[in-house]
Amino acid sequence: MPSHDFLSLLQDIVGEEDVISHPEDLLVYEYDGSIDTAIPRAVVFPTSAEEVSRVLALAHREGVPVVGRGSGTGLSGGAIAPEGGIQIAFTRMNHILDVDVANRTATVEPGVINLDLDTHARKFGLRYAPDPSSQRACSLGGNIAENAGGPHCLAYGTTTNHVLALETVLEDGTIVNLGGAARETPGYDLRGVFVGSEGTFGIATKILVRLLPVPESVKTFLGIFPDIDSACTAVSAVIGHGIVPAALEMIDALSIKAVQSVTDAGYPDDAGAVLLVELEGLTEEVEDVTHEVESALWDTGATDVRTAQDPQDRERLWVGRKTAFGAFGAIAPNYYLVDGVVPRTRLAQVLRQVDHISEKYGITIANVFHAGDGNLHPCMLFDAREPGVVERSAQAAQELMEYCVAEGGTLSGEHGIGLEKKEFMPLVFTDGDMERMKAVRDAFAPGNRLNPGKIFPDGVPMPAAPHHAGPGMYI
Amino acid sequence: MTLTLPPGLSGVVSPDGLAPEEELSDYAVDGLTPRAVIRPESREAVAEVLAWADSEGLKVSPRGGGTQAALGNAPAGLDIVLDLTRLNRVLDYEPADLTATVEAGITLQAFQRELAQGGKMAGLEAPLRDRATVGGIISVNASGPLRRSYGLPRDSLIGIAVVGPDGTETRAGGRVVKNVTGYDLNKLYAGSLGSLGVIVEASFKLATLPAESGAVTGGFVSIDTAASAAGDLLHQVYGPQGVHVVNASAARHLGIVSEGLDGAGADGGVVIAYASGRARAVQRFLSQSAQLLREHGGSDVSVLPRSEAAELLRQHTDLGWRPDDMPRLSVKLNLPPASVAAALSRLPMLAVPEQPAVLADPGFGALRMLWWEGDDDGERDAATVRSLREMAVSLGGSAVVEHCPVELKTRIDVWGDFPNEVEIMRRIKRNLDPGGTLNPGRCMGKI
Repeated sequence: MPSHDFLSLLQDIVGEEDVISHPEDLLVYEYDGSIDTAIPRAVVFPTSAEEVSRVLALAHREGVPVVGRGSGTGLSGGAIAPEGGIQIAFTRMNHILDVDVANRTATVEPGVINLDLDTHARKFGLRYAPDPSSQRACSLGGNIAENAGGPHCLAYGTTTNHVLALETVLEDGTIVNLGGAARETPGYDLRGVFVGSEGTFGIATKILVRLLPVPESVKTFLGIFPDIDSACTAVSAVIGHGIVPAALEMIDALSIKAVQSVTDAGYPDDAGAVLLVELEGLTEEVEDVTHEVESALWDTGATDVRTAQDPQDRERLWVGRKTAFGAFGAIAPNYYLVDGVVPRTRLAQVLRQVDHISEKYGITIANVFHAGDGNLHPCMLFDAREPGVVERSAQAAQELMEYCVAEGGTLSGEHGIGLEKKEFMPLVFTDGDMERMKAVRDAFAPGNRLNPGKIFPDGVPMPAAPHHAGPGMYI
Repeated sequence: MTLTLPPGLSGVVSPDGLAPEEELSDYAVDGLTPRAVIRPESREAVAEVLAWADSEGLKVSPRGGGTQAALGNAPAGLDIVLDLTRLNRVLDYEPADLTATVEAGITLQAFQRELAQGGKMAGLEAPLRDRATVGGIISVNASGPLRRSYGLPRDSLIGIAVVGPDGTETRAGGRVVKNVTGYDLNKLYAGSLGSLGVIVEASFKLATLPAESGAVTGGFVSIDTAASAAGDLLHQVYGPQGVHVVNASAARHLGIVSEGLDGAGADGGVVIAYASGRARAVQRFLSQSAQLLREHGGSDVSVLPRSEAAELLRQHTDLGWRPDDMPRLSVKLNLPPASVAAALSRLPMLAVPEQPAVLADPGFGALRMLWWEGDDDGERDAATVRSLREMAVSLGGSAVVEHCPVELKTRIDVWGDFPNEVEIMRRIKRNLDPGGTLNPGRCMGKI
């Protein structure tokens, strides 16, 4: 048990103002994408790696578990405080420290918001490619923990492909630098295995990321389809042609209605599904590919193909996609999100199965997802006040995940396992696989004090309370 | 003394799966000859051999084509070489999914040929592609002149199966292109030199075979002017897949002939730029790059068509790795990209032996130096490495000895010294290979 003056020791490190421990102040930190579960013992707001190190060293001595928290947009329970644990929130470590134009890199603190980095980089003709739909809210530190994705990861890879170096603090407070400013570093790739470790290896306090040049030409268009089946065929046709667009997103009829009810994104109300396609590159390249993609869309049954005429038009199409999840609040108050990934050729059949499961369990399911890389986001929408619906949605989710895995896919493409999917891990991995993963974790965090109870099944059931859909949620 | 397999193992290893005694010396690593070379035909055999070796305290070195078998510190022990080249099947390839899964012993050439049947390719490069295996390429994180565009094997590897020293096969990742289910151990195995597990299977994301490819070369009076032209090229919007600056010695090894270069003698430099993709984009790249090189004073600027560019790319990838042309000493600096030009201009000031072949990749941040000449002199070679390492570290990078006389490995760590990180690496090794069975001594920190 921590000593009674644990809180005052925390205050000694970061200052009285930067520790909160009153229950009413802590309420906002109890959830992550709305899972009602644990109220942390305290939340601290450090301003430097040195403070993070001292907080961790103290917690280590006192046997208190710790979880880092960015913006809490993860949706898998990753940032929920472990029992009796504290959260380290990075709200105050939110500075872009450097943009190195010659090397095309940026050094940032973990609390920097993803979109702020991208916006800043664009002043130098550069950009930060990974763009989660939550990019207006999510932090780079959280992106590291979850190996965040986003629509443009189709062409440019996920967070892990863009991180060069990390300053991290281990559970005992040791500060260790992983990776380096060079793209290749000798020795085991500790930086690579750290990204996506969901806060269980250490806490990143400084991040060096790669930036990419802004492309010469960008073209965004909307393919409008009578049904989701033909839209899936279009995705397979595009990828099958060997074209990997910068982004290739699908929005189904239910989601279109939800989006259009909160903002006019220009999606036709009567469409069965729309595909949002973005192409980038050299002018000649984009012209050639545009022609091929348009042909593929028409050939697979598009009823219309609309091209964004200017940057405002493009922005409008994207706002629709990126706010879709928040718009689900207009359909139902609660949700359960499945983040499965399947090989791209299986999309149509998997979505037919989603339909079948929706009928079987009597649960409304909306689909907005990264079609280009096979990353589904079937979102079960319901009102938790209806008796039995929470259990039905959980069963439906399980059946769907089992189906994805059977089709050669996996549980999560970008939101992580966290608390919510951990009991499903045995669908994908054997005990031996998971023991090996834990052995690697134990090399970083032998005491397992960082974000314990996540990722691996331990028989503790998922939180019974449902999640609340509404603005501020992103997929 | 050669090893005799226990009776149980002879059931899983066929008679010709055991190399005859007279061949053992062909598999020596840094002067250590293994006591057995086993060529398993199944994963079960890999598992049983490993479990037996681990229980007997025998040290095992996994091996693919053996093209980079000497990379790393000297082995702390070597009893068995596990030759994986018989595990060489393509297990799954669906072109429309842009993914493929193979056994680890398939050669890069065979893998790419198979992928080309479906119009795809893997973003992998390695010297001696007809011998280098996929498992070996992952283990050493092999790359080539297009690394700026392809990245390292870690960047396209999406799933892996390894057999641990206790014989248990485990997996990480999967066969889909986007995956955060469990820890990303793919990254850990890539570049781990087979020291954490024997890779038996790997899945990759793929790309479409480019419709067109080509290259541009141009000679410059000095390596600095070449570097300046390359820097400008890298900042053009038609960004090439790879831009390289090589010195006169390296250019000769690559068979690049340039009158301007001859005039400049040993101080001259050559820029090589590669591109591939759609026909119109490649055409634009080639013509604009050629023009830019001329504007920078380049002489003998040549646009190489597809087949010539492919041949130059092959020579470039293989340089310093061909058994009939191995350099005496080869060092690779990993640098922040913008520091490559600074490193090039500082080289003449360093106390290193003269006339190395220098191959710089300023778009990625790599600089290789190869010495064929000179006698083995451990003290002097160690001083050379220390001097290069000091410069690389001061520029934010590192220096890795790719190839050297065995004696030098007793004086230095070929990977460099990163004490803080090495402690975690040591713990990972201890947790995953507690008996130190797999390639002991060869990784950073002589782990």
